[in-house]
Amino acid sequence: MIVEAKSLHKRFHDVVAVESLDLAVERGSCYGLVGPNGAGKTTTMRMIYCLNRPTSGTLSVFGLDVLKEPRRIKARLGVVPQDNNLDPDLSTCRNLEVYARYFGINRADAGSRCHDLLDFMQLRDRADSPMPALSGGMKRRLVIARALVNNPELLILDEPTTGLDPQVRHLIWDRLLDLKEQGVTLMLTTHYMEEAQKLCDRVLVMDHARAVAEGSPTELIREHVSPYVLELRADRSLNAHITSRFGHMEFQSSGQNLYFYGGSPDEFDDLLAAYPQTERLLRPSSLEDVFLKLTGRELRL
Amino acid sequence: MSQGLLSVTSAFSRVWLRNAQVYLTLWKFNVFPALAEPILFIFVFGIGIGSYIDQMEGVPYLEFVAPGILGIAAIMQATFECTYGSYFRMRMQNTFEGIISTPVSAAEVGMAEITWGATRGLVTSTLVLVILAFFGVFHNPSVLLLPVITFLAAFNFAAIAIIVTSRIAQMEYFHFYFAGFVLPAQFLCGTFFPISRFPEPVQVIAWIIPLTSFVDIMRSLTLARITPSLIPETVWALGSTIILAELAVRSMQHRLVE
Repeated sequence: MIVEAKSLHKRFHDVVAVESLDLAVERGSCYGLVGPNGAGKTTTMRMIYCLNRPTSGTLSVFGLDVLKEPRRIKARLGVVPQDNNLDPDLSTCRNLEVYARYFGINRADAGSRCHDLLDFMQLRDRADSPMPALSGGMKRRLVIARALVNNPELLILDEPTTGLDPQVRHLIWDRLLDLKEQGVTLMLTTHYMEEAQKLCDRVLVMDHARAVAEGSPTELIREHVSPYVLELRADRSLNAHITSRFGHMEFQSSGQNLYFYGGSPDEFDDLLAAYPQTERLLRPSSLEDVFLKLTGRELRL
Repeated sequence: MSQGLLSVTSAFSRVWLRNAQVYLTLWKFNVFPALAEPILFIFVFGIGIGSYIDQMEGVPYLEFVAPGILGIAAIMQATFECTYGSYFRMRMQNTFEGIISTPVSAAEVGMAEITWGATRGLVTSTLVLVILAFFGVFHNPSVLLLPVITFLAAFNFAAIAIIVTSRIAQMEYFHFYFAGFVLPAQFLCGTFFPISRFPEPVQVIAWIIPLTSFVDIMRSLTLARITPSLIPETVWALGSTIILAELAVRSMQHRLVE
């Protein structure tokens, strides 16, 4: 196991950020952490890359204890933090070279590595740009390039694609899959279930500092939700009407939307026939349905 | 994970180099403004007020005040760098967080910031030293040792600044630090006149602030006067520097790795 946590706890003063967490990440896999804001995903990641110290429990990375061997652990992993922390005083290429120096990589190796990485993340034309001249998508790609400067065995990405346009997001997904193919272990947090479903071999759903479910995306869908979902969009009175007639079916309501769950598409035939005018979408269940079922639809305050 | 100065390896120099690299690309903005205050001091105190003072402690006023001006140049530069400069890198730019995600430790970041602040103090005070030399205030070869002392003084104040920087929740607290400590230190520490002019309790406070010892050591070098008081001054100058650096490094570790 590349990362192994056993009854991991983290408390900040009187706030419990992570509680009784167990997880195991296999070499070469992609492991995803999902959960509402404040669920403890970032704290878990920061403990893995040794920026937060566990309050109790054990956490080992590459078989090394995070409390005893942070330097050896950090030498072998790459970190893409939630907020970009590029060095605004340095150009694109200098950012990579200076970062390579923190790893003790010599100048010549750093220079060639920098060029390879800028190519890999399609930033070659921007090698000499000052930081403020880069767009959000370019900065994010550069942070990922920077995390690869030491050829890490484990790449940790905290919300790698939040706030990016679809083109950049797809480029990043492609690159992460390339890395995985090369044998790099990936750990990521995300709020996009599509992203988790596309990239992750296993997903851990966290809520209120605890793990609430774990498994491959298909396992999670199979175990927690029915295979099909019918979404109906109706006003309040129609909503009440529908739920009084079809309340025997499994459903959830959220604002003006009703979500009915079923084992096969034909289970919805009666419902669809009864309300032909209503806006509807019949689709296979996704990880998003699992997420909302496990963590609820109400906002976190 | 080990703590404090003993855990610091040579990896701290990588962070020092980062700061030096940024400084060199912006050197014009850094060098000249830093010289404004010391040059003003030379004119205002050395030449302006100095023309009304025949002698102080048996030497022309500008010769008396020169070590004070050097000491102030060194500590002020280090203080600005390790308060606003370090705080900006830590909180606004998150530079430190990026650095400690690599094999470089939080203690090494603290050490690098102190050393960098001291380096800037050394650069500025050495330029001031050259300017002062043009005014003909130095007569003894022992002045060649002055950069060693200005570096240590700057290092000492950089460490104090890092202790403050790593403990405050918002930048506005620096106002208290500057008004309550840095500004008084500039004038209390035997920089512009001998501290024997103060009442006894104030003298005690002045001796506790390490700048007093540094300025007095520098004055012994410029005036080539060796006195027994140099021994306790040297012990306190070095001892306080080590203690403060230890506290600063631990404080930075505490701040960066929760």
